[in-house]
Amino acid sequence: MPPIAANSPLLELQDVHMHFPVREGVFLRAARSCKAVDGVSLSLRAGETLGLVGESGCGKSTLGKCIVRLHQPTSGKILFEGTNLAALKPRALKPHRRHLQMVFQDPVESLNSRHTVGEILTEPFEIHGVGDAASRRASVLALLEKVGLPAVAAERYPFEFSGGQRQRIGIARALALNPRLLVCDEPVSALDVSIQSQVLNLLLDLQRELGLTYLFIAHNLAVVKHVSDRIAIMYLGRIVELADADEIYEQPLHPYTRALLSAIPRPNPGGRRERIVLQGDVPSPINPPSGCPFHPRCPHATDRCRAELPALRPAPKLSGHTVACHYDLP
Amino acid sequence: MTRRFPFFRFNPQTQKKLQRFRSIRRGYVSFLILATGVVLSIAGELLVNSRALVVRYDGHWYFPTYGRIHTGKEFGLDYAYEVNYRDLRARFAQEPAGRNWLLLPPVPYNPIENCYAGETFRPRPPEWGTKHFLGTDQINRDILARLVYGFRNALVFATAFILLTYLVGITIGCLMGYFGGWFDLLVQRLIEIWSNIPFLFVVIIVASIVPPGIGMNLGVLLFIVVLFSWTGMTYYMRSATYREKARDYVHAAQVLGAGTTRIIFKHILPNVLSTIVTFIPFTIASSISALTALDFLGFGLPPPTPSWGELLRQGTSNLQSPWIVASAFSALVLVLVLVTFIGEAIREAFDPKKFTTYQ
Repeated sequence: MPPIAANSPLLELQDVHMHFPVREGVFLRAARSCKAVDGVSLSLRAGETLGLVGESGCGKSTLGKCIVRLHQPTSGKILFEGTNLAALKPRALKPHRRHLQMVFQDPVESLNSRHTVGEILTEPFEIHGVGDAASRRASVLALLEKVGLPAVAAERYPFEFSGGQRQRIGIARALALNPRLLVCDEPVSALDVSIQSQVLNLLLDLQRELGLTYLFIAHNLAVVKHVSDRIAIMYLGRIVELADADEIYEQPLHPYTRALLSAIPRPNPGGRRERIVLQGDVPSPINPPSGCPFHPRCPHATDRCRAELPALRPAPKLSGHTVACHYDLP
Repeated sequence: MTRRFPFFRFNPQTQKKLQRFRSIRRGYVSFLILATGVVLSIAGELLVNSRALVVRYDGHWYFPTYGRIHTGKEFGLDYAYEVNYRDLRARFAQEPAGRNWLLLPPVPYNPIENCYAGETFRPRPPEWGTKHFLGTDQINRDILARLVYGFRNALVFATAFILLTYLVGITIGCLMGYFGGWFDLLVQRLIEIWSNIPFLFVVIIVASIVPPGIGMNLGVLLFIVVLFSWTGMTYYMRSATYREKARDYVHAAQVLGAGTTRIIFKHILPNVLSTIVTFIPFTIASSISALTALDFLGFGLPPPTPSWGELLRQGTSNLQSPWIVASAFSALVLVLVLVTFIGEAIREAFDPKKFTTYQ
């Protein structure tokens, strides 16, 4: 791995927007747009895990797909080791793809059921023209061993495995080309609870062993806490709070974060924290509310919130903690 | 440890589907009967043919079935055109036994010969003595021979029809589904317009302007029928490709950097094609009935090509000779019923509700 300067981030997102056109009428005119990701700026240091949390529909998966360029962002920069991936044409992008890989949510959907595991794991080498048949076979076996699957797995088909094993296959495929960054899009939410921790620990072991950087997307704060160094909270296409993992649990600043945290099931019912129940539903990203996107559901909303969009600003007294709220709530 | 990846084996899902197809008795028996019929018709020259299978003459062996034409002079007759083996056998029978002999196929007639040359044209009823097991048609041709070779023509037509319509339909449908957007919109409108052109009128017009030298041969007919039949497959392929394209295994390939060709041919098509197998029997049934209908109307294959439609037409205009229409009709119904049974069984065996890939 080439040395990366300590202060330069591995991945930097600058004001990324992903607006999907909503097509209408006979000629499919883009009448409106769905603002799935609406101005996200983030940076990931090499070797860290950034947890990205939010309700379903908040744009966290879309952001992950923008980073691996499954979507072409409408605007903004995606700087990976200094190269702006968002501006690259598919052909120029291909050599960069091997450095950023993705682990998908549902391993049943993400593995082609007509290919054997061996074929699935050989495909990355075929696409990038790495090695010959013999070395590819050896690499496949090494990958299987790395994720804790027996060598005979190569000759079987994905549906002959359990959910957790299938997710291991998905992880092995993502690791095939020695990537630096893994975008994990809810990698355990489709698995049985008993399997989740095994897969999470596998991801953590691999990170330690290979020096990987993770963008860990999840809607489950308990899972994210286990793996993340820092956590970003997303709401309606924007990041509303970003802080170190421990700190965000101890001192959540944004009212939305507080509501999310209060929803985590607690081992001792009747404990000190009260459950904050948000009113209403997440507004449609096609027609987001004015001002702060959270104001229709926020218990502290004022006229200023309804008119003015809060910027992500450093929180007072806490270093490295940013929040997008006009007020310093107690 | 080095292990070899298997060179080829059926996907266990496919194995299970085939197993279930075998367990559906009606469909499987129909399949065996039809497969036997297909094999027999492919070997038609050995079973139904005016040429002898083996001739022993003057100490030499002759196998005329697939070889060149043997003239009468070669066997000591006085004419230089192809020998009539039935007459030859009658002559050999008069000679002292043992020296010269020949073996005729079970039905010693070919489908285009006039079996009663020099006599009046009239349909002759089935007769075992002369080996006209299903009788003759109105110009003295053996009906069984015409049925067998007509079946073979229909099979050739159906096979070519399936290959061509599926090739065109799958290609265009898959491209529409994969690229979507304006391309999809445009091609879909064109297909809608195209499929509203009345097919039969086009056939009639083409039949009347094709130069008589060429005639409506199998190729021209096939071209016209395919031209108006490929659209159906695009509807299915388009939506199936749309569905597959949005699934994560395609996304995973894209993230790895796979190109369009690779994604279409290695990922989308194999997943879509397994469903298309279930359409094939029904396409066979419809193409056989389409060919028969065209022949019946007189816009199909040129005479004297043996065809079931032509036999049906003769039969309906000679109802006083019911064996013509009866044999053609029974053969057509039998084949269509068998094909439909097979189709139902395949559909049942491949039913994703009973056997889900993603349980």
